[in-house]
Parts: sequence; structure tokens; C-alpha cells
Amino acid sequence: MREVVVVGQPNAGKTLFLLNFAAYTGLSVADLALRAEDGTTTTKSLPLSAARRNLVDAARHKTQVVQSLELRFPSGKTARFARVSDTPGLADAISPDAVLRRAMAAALEALRRADVVLHMIDAALVGRHGEAAVAAVDREIADYGFARGPYALLANKQDLPLARAGTNVLRRMFPGRRVIPVSALQRRGFREVKLFVWRHV
Amino acid sequence: MLLSGQPVGPVYPADVIRMVAEGSLAPQRAVNWLSVLERRAGARPGADGESGAPAGASDALEAAWRDLDKLIGLDRVKTHLREVLAYAHMQVLRQQHGLHTEPIVLHTVMFGRPGTGKTTVARLMSRILHAAGLLSKGHIVETERADLVGEYVGHTAQRTKEQIRKATGGVLFVDEAYSLMRGGEKDFGREAIDCLVKAMEDQRHDLVVILAGYPEEMAEFLAVNPGLESRFPIQIEFPDYTLAEMQEIARLMCQERDYELSEAAAEALGVYVSIARLLPNFGNARVIRNVLEGAMRRQAWRLLNPDADARRRGLSRRELMQLLPEDLGEEVLACAKWSSSASPTPGRRSFS
Repeated sequence: MREVVVVGQPNAGKTLFLLNFAAYTGLSVADLALRAEDGTTTTKSLPLSAARRNLVDAARHKTQVVQSLELRFPSGKTARFARVSDTPGLADAISPDAVLRRAMAAALEALRRADVVLHMIDAALVGRHGEAAVAAVDREIADYGFARGPYALLANKQDLPLARAGTNVLRRMFPGRRVIPVSALQRRGFREVKLFVWRHV
Repeated sequence: MLLSGQPVGPVYPADVIRMVAEGSLAPQRAVNWLSVLERRAGARPGADGESGAPAGASDALEAAWRDLDKLIGLDRVKTHLREVLAYAHMQVLRQQHGLHTEPIVLHTVMFGRPGTGKTTVARLMSRILHAAGLLSKGHIVETERADLVGEYVGHTAQRTKEQIRKATGGVLFVDEAYSLMRGGEKDFGREAIDCLVKAMEDQRHDLVVILAGYPEEMAEFLAVNPGLESRFPIQIEFPDYTLAEMQEIARLMCQERDYELSEAAAEALGVYVSIARLLPNFGNARVIRNVLEGAMRRQAWRLLNPDADARRRGLSRRELMQLLPEDLGEEVLACAKWSSSASPTPGRRSFS
């Protein structure tokens, strides 16, 4: 099965995106595969609504392990499956907190293994603060992901003001990359993401 | 602590990941390193797709072997596993070269008392087999009787199949497997066993079943199910830890959590363990973990309670790290006191 990974800064909206996107592809109960930092996985079943309640938070660094869902992408009479993983947020600096560092290491490991990279950036933040809001780690991911395989930049939070301006900034900064405006909260742009993933798994 | 700027950069992508976890490399630089290293290696990870081992397999394999080696004691277990897993890996490699291969059956029985590392080793086995390309996911699903046996006729097969479905691609770990035989002829446990046996045959290429439990009960369980024993070619015994190994485990557990045992505390713990391990249901490493976790809570209260003078003058780094004998709890202290009154050189005698 192909691995799709959602990466980005903390609080870009990765977890909410994964859960809402899973619901969009027709999933109702999430068999979350949680990959701990030592590389082992455990499975946990949660209804999506409960998962949203438990996993999504406005606090930074809420997600500390790699969480994956197997999603089904119907194609004609059959379907393709892909494992989509949500990862802990990556920040520029070295964190003094060992737990966070290990979480970030797990995120990098997932990024390294992925076949398809979905890179999520908070476009509303970029709209407000311009290029400064795009962290160095984002630039690196954009280069890395783009150089090695299917890569899409998800300009998230289109439900907030200035997100469109932010999306334009991102398009200018990362020429040649596929930029998809989405709103994880309002489930906008999911069709395009689904097509993109479907084409590459 | 953060390592000071090292002149040598990472050599393998796995180093990059490790350095981020250690805190010697910022994530931003790490992604850059990954680009550089992977370009240098010339191969796009994941380019080999579905066939053979997953991307970065040799790194993952090495890391998993290293983790197995890091476990304290368990020498016989390690040697045994190393041979079995190397043989399995060899079959995969031989297959790639079109050589004759034997069918690989890796279903395992683990005999051992609580806390002797059965689950930990099962996890590592799953990881190693995954990295060697023998299991597609490399996870572990831990089950016990309640997860497998249903409440009414026909329910058991459903439940067991559900667990098998979840475990496919990894390891199905059945703890206290003999409890499936509890309750006599009419018990649904039998049905669960039959269902497991069928899955072990049908899905032997992508599922490893591990039965685990107390040595005596497991031996009896296999004896009354003669058909079962032959289906589990790998049988591993987990001996109790020796006193020295337990002390090493305690030290390591503290180290991992950034704590340290004061000399007196280490001594007291040694005495306690040497006495406690004579009890029939001694929990081995689990006992140590429980004592240490209790100690960390007591240490917190010792330093932060309203009367502590340490609280007023502020806490030093050393104080934050150190566990004293009084943190270890009444049971440990009582043992230590009893022993020091009984003999001049307590706790040094080995019971192994």
C-alpha cells in the first residue's frame, strides 16, 4: 500500500485535515494506527467525531505520534487504498523537550518513507505576515518533497480572511509546485486533494 | 543535554532522525540533510515500490537489531532469535536470487514469568520481520482471552477473526494463551484456538502468531493440545532476570527518564529485589518499573511539599534528578532495614 504523509508546522491543521478528509472519503470509524517513536504501531478504533474531539486542539504540538488511517479511493468498480499519516508538527528550532524532539524525529521518519507528500501551510498566517510566516523548515520540505516524488502544497485555513492573499504568496515562493487551497475546517478543496492522491497511489 | 556542535555530519538518513531525537540537529537542517544524503545515495526512497523490503529497510533492520541487543540479559533469547530471524531473512534474499527456499513459519511460543520481556521481544520481532520484508506492516496486536472469546455461540469466530484481521501484516500476540482452554469442553475458547490455527495456516506469509504465558501453564497447554505444538516451530524461554541484570535494568530505566538512583537507594533497591524475587509471582522488570515510578512521584512530593525547605531555596538540577532511599516506598525500606539488621553485608548475596 502506498504511504501518503501530511507534514507541516505545528498548528497548520494537519490532524483536523486528516480526520475530515477521512470522513470525506467515506470513513466513519477510524482504525487509527499509532506509530510510536520507537517504530512500533498499535491500532485503536475511534468514531471520527470522537477522534476529532480527542486529537484536535488549538494548542501547539498536540499531535505527538504519527497517526495513520487507511483510506479508500474508489476507482471504477474497484478501489485503491492508501495509508494517510498525520505527523507531529515540525518546527525550525531544536526543542528542549525530549518528547517533542522524538515526536519530530518520528515525523521526519514518516516523511522519509512516504510515497506522496502533502505539505500543509497555514495560508491565513502567510496572508497576515507575508513570507516571514513560512518557516525555514517549510522551505526545506518544499524542496525535499518536490525533488523526490509526488508533492502537493496544501494552503490551509481558506475559511479565514487573507488566506487567499497567503495562497498567492505561496504560489510565488514555490514556483512549479502544485498548490491546492483547502479548508480543513470547512472541508473545501478536498475533491482536488482526493484526485491528486488518487492519481499517485 | 544538547550535544555541542559536532564537526561530523550525519552519514545515513537514520543518523539524521536519531540526531533530531537527541536534539543535536534542528528539524529544518534535518530535512536539508535528508535531501543531501538521499541524493548522494542516488536512489529515490520508495522507488523499489511494493517489491521486496520497504524503503530504508537496511537502516530500519539495523536499528531494530541494535534495539534487541540493547535489551539487558536475555542472552539465550537473543541468540535464538538472531538465528531464526537471520534464517528467515536469508530465505527472502535467496528467493530474490531464484534459489531454492524453505517455507518460513515463524509462529512462536514464549514461556516466561511476568515482566521477563516477552512483549518487548515480540514487538522487536515484528519490527525486524517487517524490516526484512517478511511482514507487510510490522505492528503488534496484543490480545488476551477476553478479546478472542465471544459470549454466545458463533460470536467467538467473529471476534477472533476480527483480531486476526487487525493483526494481518504483523504479529498477533496472545497473552496467557492457556486461558483459552479454561472452562472445559463446552467453553468457547476451543473455537478461538481452531480459528487461530486456521489463520496461521492460511495467512502464514503475512501473519505471525505468538502465544505467551507462564512456563508451567504454557507447557501444560501445549501438552494437552498435541496438534498445536507442531504448529509453533519457534519456542523461546524467558528466564527470570538475575539480580545483577535487574540492577542494570533499574539503572537504565532511570537513565532513560533523566533520573538517577543515589548509591544508598540503589543498594536498598538491590536488597528489596533479592528478597522479592523469591516470591512465586514476582514480576521481574515490571516490579522495578513500578517501584521507580512510585519513587518518582514520592520524590516530587518530597521536594514540593509545603514543608520542604528545598522548595523555598529553589531546586538544583541534581535534586531534580536524584532518587533517595526514602523515595522508594515503605516495602523497599522495610526490606533494607530488615536486611541491615540481619547481616553486615546485605543484598550483595546473589540468589541466582
